Amino acid sequence: MGRTLPSATQTFLLEQEAFTRFRRALRRSDQLALDDLFTCARQHIAAAAYASHALPFEVFLLAMLLEEHKQVMHLRRLLEEAGHS
Amino acid sequence: MLWLLGEDGQRHCLRQAFPITFFAAGPPEHLRRLWRRLQSQPVPLQLARAERRDLFLPDPLPVLAVQVERPIDQPGLFEQVSREFPDLTYYDADILLPLRHAAAHGTFPLARLRVALDDQERVQVIQPLDSPWELDPPPAPLRILSIEPDCDPRHAPPQALRIHCERQNYRLPLELVQSAETGYPVPRPGAWARPLLANLSAILRRHDPDLLLTGWGDTWLMPLLLDLAAEHNLALPLNRDADFNVMRKREFSYFSYGQVIYRGQQVLLCGRWHIDLYNAMLFHDYGLDGVLESARVTGAPVQSAARLSPGSGISAMQIVTALRSQVLVPWHKQQAEDLKSALDLIHADQGGMVYQPIPGLYQDVAEIDFISMYPGIMTRFNISPETVGREKPHAEPVPALNLWVDRQETGLVPRTLEPLLEKRIALKKHLLEMPAWDPRRRVYKARTAAHKWLLVTCFGYLGYKNARFGRIEAHESVTAYGRESLLRAKEAAEDLGYEVLHMYVDGLWVRQVGRNTVADLQPLLDEISQRTSLPISLEGIYKWLAFLPSRLDERVPVANRYFGAFQDGSLKLRGIEARRRDTPPFIVDIQMGLLELLSRAPDAEHLADCLPKTLGLLRGCLQALRLGRIPPEALLVTQKLSRELDQYRTPSPAARAAAQLAWNGKHLRPGQLVRFLYMRGWPGVHAWDLPEPPDLRAIDVACYRKLLLRAAGTVLQPLGVSEITLRDWLLANASYGAPPGKIIAARR
Repeated sequence: MGRTLPSATQTFLLEQEAFTRFRRALRRSDQLALDDLFTCARQHIAAAAYASHALPFEVFLLAMLLEEHKQVMHLRRLLEEAGHS
Repeated sequence: MLWLLGEDGQRHCLRQAFPITFFAAGPPEHLRRLWRRLQSQPVPLQLARAERRDLFLPDPLPVLAVQVERPIDQPGLFEQVSREFPDLTYYDADILLPLRHAAAHGTFPLARLRVALDDQERVQVIQPLDSPWELDPPPAPLRILSIEPDCDPRHAPPQALRIHCERQNYRLPLELVQSAETGYPVPRPGAWARPLLANLSAILRRHDPDLLLTGWGDTWLMPLLLDLAAEHNLALPLNRDADFNVMRKREFSYFSYGQVIYRGQQVLLCGRWHIDLYNAMLFHDYGLDGVLESARVTGAPVQSAARLSPGSGISAMQIVTALRSQVLVPWHKQQAEDLKSALDLIHADQGGMVYQPIPGLYQDVAEIDFISMYPGIMTRFNISPETVGREKPHAEPVPALNLWVDRQETGLVPRTLEPLLEKRIALKKHLLEMPAWDPRRRVYKARTAAHKWLLVTCFGYLGYKNARFGRIEAHESVTAYGRESLLRAKEAAEDLGYEVLHMYVDGLWVRQVGRNTVADLQPLLDEISQRTSLPISLEGIYKWLAFLPSRLDERVPVANRYFGAFQDGSLKLRGIEARRRDTPPFIVDIQMGLLELLSRAPDAEHLADCLPKTLGLLRGCLQALRLGRIPPEALLVTQKLSRELDQYRTPSPAARAAAQLAWNGKHLRPGQLVRFLYMRGWPGVHAWDLPEPPDLRAIDVACYRKLLLRAAGTVLQPLGVSEITLRDWLLANASYGAPPGKIIAARR
């Protein structure tokens, strides 16, 4: 038995590792923000696996964007609620 | 030769003529040469041309059928033939005799049979009166003799053998010394063994047992007794059939699913069975009832069924199905994977779907499981090595894969599985309806556990290249249908207004405010089984359920780390310390004790009310640990050796304990378990099976305290109590007011 291809989690970690040089050159505060982005994307590994896209990083980018957009929607709602009261 | 237990209570040994056939295929001129060669040798046989089906080939195959009159001649003859004609492809060549008998006559271990004999006591007609699929077969009236040493021989030399049979107990003294070589005790020289052997022979003759149930019989006791008998030149009637020698198989370690597995040597008997409680596969899981059930349903002999992996069991069932339907059983399979494009590979090479739940504490969550999902898919969608392939007129596309399944003719694998799956579902249904006090519950549970293992491995064997009826495309199709079904279930739940918290291969966890009874959930179950056409059941509704984050990063969820209490108060836990084999019993008990306390809370919001009691429990346990009141057995850590000792770069505690044993002449193999205590100072461990007892004052209390706090932290973390807070409360005596974090029951 044994898989021929790396699992989606392994692919994710490889992609993350590919950016270590980029991360190293960032300011500490930016590094932490970048880590957050990756952590967000991690929630969607199962969906990324099911998509089994030939370029997995595109899917991870979309997952980051998805989480960012959820934040935007959440903040917008908070602002609207604050505006109404 | 057949051993039967008569209705008169007599044990009968009968003979039956049973010619067996193997097949050869290849270029016609090679087959002709083989034909001529076989005609010129002395073994009595019959030759014929035939056509048979090889599942991996599209058309029927012309073969040479070699029917050997006496089964005993076949292995030698075949060995010779395969050596002289290595270019031919052979089929049905290495099949266990009982499986051939099962295929030809419908027999199976523990079957009820009607037998007609001729005047020379030879079997003329043999007819099974029941089937392996009967739900409640009458228990076989077996005479069981148990033999066990009075202590674990790996720990200390036993003083005596304890024997029990037919309500009689015997005690036979032993004189043994520790051996420097094997780690097992060896006999002290002298005449003491004569009375032991004589008494044991007398007991065996008096009771004439059908089954010898031993402790360490395979790995130590039987070889010791056989060696002693040979040394003293005494016959020991271990076999019922004195014409045969006792069979011994060597020990070995192998690698399976990322684990090293150790199998001890085996001692097999003729005319009666020998099962070693500690060398039988999964005996701890399903006991003798489970072993007998897996022999019944697989057709494999009981002694093999007890020791075989469930994978070999499912293989045996497939072989019987193949023999019955004249499908060739390959000897050495030479089946290469079909070519596929890189994109096809990316789509196909996936397992089941595993989501990451959002960590937190939840209320009124329902867990819904597909019943035996993968075997169900194989039978429902007809997945088998010969049905899965390229596009064909009557084939149906596999979801999201570039593969098709032929639905016209039922495949070999679904045909094999269907009765087993039906029996399992029927037994489970009976179990659900049975009251808790019903004595049949235990047997039913053991049987369903045996079925479960067979069904689980069946899926693995479908993808295993070397399995006789394995084919990777079939395996990929099963997981593809699995993912499709789980996604359809998710969509059904979301369409009915549920929030899907988690999905794990064949189960999903959903919740909807105000829907927390079995009746509330029924429409969802109906919708899912309608959309997937697979059977589904409600595992239960949780009062509260906690999904835990990763140990390393609190924000990262992990798929299989959770615990919760069902509405009836029962607990379900996965991936936490209490489920791990290497956790000391003391820690397991504390973690379970904490969970018991929490399981009394009516819902998630009232969990915090349990905190004072849990802290009281923990304080008591810490004090008992500090005062040395915990028995050392409860502190034992049990770990598996993953490699040979000299291959460890930095020896783990388990490796250091194994090294201690090695210095004392006990050598453990990879895959064997080592038991030890954590101690202060170098080497930090004390192996439990060392001859000298551990110094109880040097037990590393700080280390056990750390393990305890970690296990308690896992359970209390969803209440907002971190391991650090817990340490402050319990060790630094910080005052406890209310939980520092707020409970996140209603988290989005």
